[in-house]
Amino acid sequence: MATKPDTIFRALDRKAAAVTEFTMRQYRTKLSTWVVLIAGFLIISLLLLFYIDGMQKEYESIDNDGDSSDWDNDGYPTGQERLYGTDPYSPDFHPGLLDPPIEPDPPEKWIDEDDFDWDSSPGAGQTISVGHDDDGDCNRDDRTDSQKDTNDNNIPCDIALEGPQLGMDESGFDIDADNFVDEDPDDAAYAKEAIHRASILAIGKLGFVFIIGIFVPLFLATGLIRDEMSSGTMHYMLSKPIARTEVFLYRILGYLGIVWPYLAILVFISAIVTGLAGPGDSFFRFSEFGIWLSVLFAAMLATLVYGMLFCFFGVLWRYGVILAIPFAAWELGMALLSMGMPDAAILRFSIIGWALTIIDSAAMLVWPDIDLFIQMGLWGGGGDGTGLFGSSIEGAAPLSYFSSKPGLGGAGPFVSMLISTVVLLVQAATLWLVGGLLFKGKEIE
Amino acid sequence: MMPDFDQSGLPQTKEWTPEPKAPVILLENVSKTYGRIHALTGITLALSGGVTGILGMNGAGKSTLFKILMGKIKPSSGQVRLFGTNPWKNPAPYARVGFVPEHEKMYDWMTAHDFISTFARLNGLTRDEAKIEADRVLDFVGLLDVAHKQIGRFSKGMRQRTKIAHALVNDPELIILDEPLQGCDPLARTTIMNVIRELGRMGRTVIVSSHILHEIERITEQIVILHYGRLLALGNLHAIRERLDKIPHRIDIGTENPKALAKSIIEIDSVHGIFFPEGENLSIQTHNLGSFHSELPKAIIESGQRVESIDNPDDDLESILGYLTGGGRL
Repeated sequence: MATKPDTIFRALDRKAAAVTEFTMRQYRTKLSTWVVLIAGFLIISLLLLFYIDGMQKEYESIDNDGDSSDWDNDGYPTGQERLYGTDPYSPDFHPGLLDPPIEPDPPEKWIDEDDFDWDSSPGAGQTISVGHDDDGDCNRDDRTDSQKDTNDNNIPCDIALEGPQLGMDESGFDIDADNFVDEDPDDAAYAKEAIHRASILAIGKLGFVFIIGIFVPLFLATGLIRDEMSSGTMHYMLSKPIARTEVFLYRILGYLGIVWPYLAILVFISAIVTGLAGPGDSFFRFSEFGIWLSVLFAAMLATLVYGMLFCFFGVLWRYGVILAIPFAAWELGMALLSMGMPDAAILRFSIIGWALTIIDSAAMLVWPDIDLFIQMGLWGGGGDGTGLFGSSIEGAAPLSYFSSKPGLGGAGPFVSMLISTVVLLVQAATLWLVGGLLFKGKEIE
Repeated sequence: MMPDFDQSGLPQTKEWTPEPKAPVILLENVSKTYGRIHALTGITLALSGGVTGILGMNGAGKSTLFKILMGKIKPSSGQVRLFGTNPWKNPAPYARVGFVPEHEKMYDWMTAHDFISTFARLNGLTRDEAKIEADRVLDFVGLLDVAHKQIGRFSKGMRQRTKIAHALVNDPELIILDEPLQGCDPLARTTIMNVIRELGRMGRTVIVSSHILHEIERITEQIVILHYGRLLALGNLHAIRERLDKIPHRIDIGTENPKALAKSIIEIDSVHGIFFPEGENLSIQTHNLGSFHSELPKAIIESGQRVESIDNPDDDLESILGYLTGGGRL
């Protein structure tokens, strides 16, 4: 056995390893640990079942512009009649009478026939031209140039897309489309994609960072020090040459040794499920591992900070759980607020606000088109209002709710993620210091 | 700095050096109050080497004293020094201290060996060293054959011995045992007493508390008596006992024919009174316990009676306390 140089770190390692290992083994012997972990697993499984159900559902493709109907009962849908310039309201004129005669299209061909063609996103204050008249009903020969350019941007049959105003919090786009451009998008495809993304954000934010992130530490970390103090077994640990702040830290390390692998397993299962069940031609949506990684990272940091906090509550008072409950309510409020108002300054005084910023930042990196995607869905082709949310397509509103722009001013996603990580680590370190000092001054009976 | 994952470095047990010539334990005018309750009042004490018994009734302040020594609670006033260091501020002296708490709760899911080796690592031992050390101390208290059984299945006496073994890890210079004999069966009692005496012979400073006089008597002669948080007496138990012998004592003898026995006992010089409290019982008063005990066997043989029990109800802590405080039943 090689002998290593003796340093104070070696001694610390041994104590840290001993207390950490001991704490992990102690968790394994407690029934409550298993109950909490299994309950968390069931909650995530339930959320995943809802998600799978959402993916299995057939979304109705709406004929947003009504051109699949055959108003004059001549067998030709309105869209086809418009394309060939025959009168859609007169059974005496239809493309079958042309030379050579045209076979009538099935009505389905005129549903979702003019999907979104938005290939780029405007910057702040910028206006760009997107969209393409796939079905040719805007570019018909019988229409005048001014009819083709109803948004007056001198480009016929396009959509003028104006980015959010510079310096404004408003993230909405200003969409001004020429008539009959992208007016009948593929609702089913959009809804599936939007609900898929909204589900990942919802499970990640509320399922992992909030529910697992608060309740697992609430039950597992509150008693880390307190239970030992109450039962008198703390005497064994404190009769050794070890500082109480060290005991506090190493107990937390043992708690993380159980909770972090558990989170990793749950997140991995979720990533596999959404990767396989998600929409798309590919067998597996590999790119979304990125967002799941951020969910894991955010949940790990959240359980670290909450663990320190609840352990501190436990040292503070025999019934520390009672202190933790109003706190959990506060964090729920902050979680919901961060989705509606990610810029709210009060979020800086929460833990979850910072953790969710990490997920939002990752969402921007993994789905660079997410803003555009939400905006096009909310606009929904400017159709006739058959959707639940005005003309917007199903799935756009939930996605808009669950995704937020990282609310750190103009900072980019990488910088936001970095700042949030540092803030959470500082919170954890502060709570360790406060909790450790409190524990140090505590008399153990 | 790479973490010591394989735990192969040298043990870190000698970092802290005690102040030279400082007594192992030094208390100067130490008091502890809980609100209006005075748990300890003005204790001044210095101990180094040998076995010392801390004697006192329940609630006399024995455990409070130990908790102050172990840095678990902070004295309200006064100075505490362990090897010259304030234990409330600095846990380093515990590298040389073993503590057996009074609490009965243990980690029942661990084996004795596991428990001891895990906590031995908090002394800075590596995993392997801790295992060797656990074997050594378990052997010392005679539990090596059950070392790998769960503590939860142990008898009360085995649990106490496990706690003692845990305190002996790293060969401490000071061992503090809070009521180590409480609730133990006679066999375990004897084993534990032998262990404590052996530690004393090895030159360790041992402090053991009890509320039962004859237990302490079998372990050591050096005693400290605590009474309602005050230090009542300090010194050799025999010196105190000799003075006790000179004052009236009561001795109860159980026999089938008290009157026949009384006839021969009354002949003993030191007896100055005989009572018949109940049916088959005899109560004798003497003012010289030593000489009475030396003549009693002869008197019993002469009477030809069968004696079922000889009880010395005054020879307990309460009597000593009563005598020392000037009141009591004597």
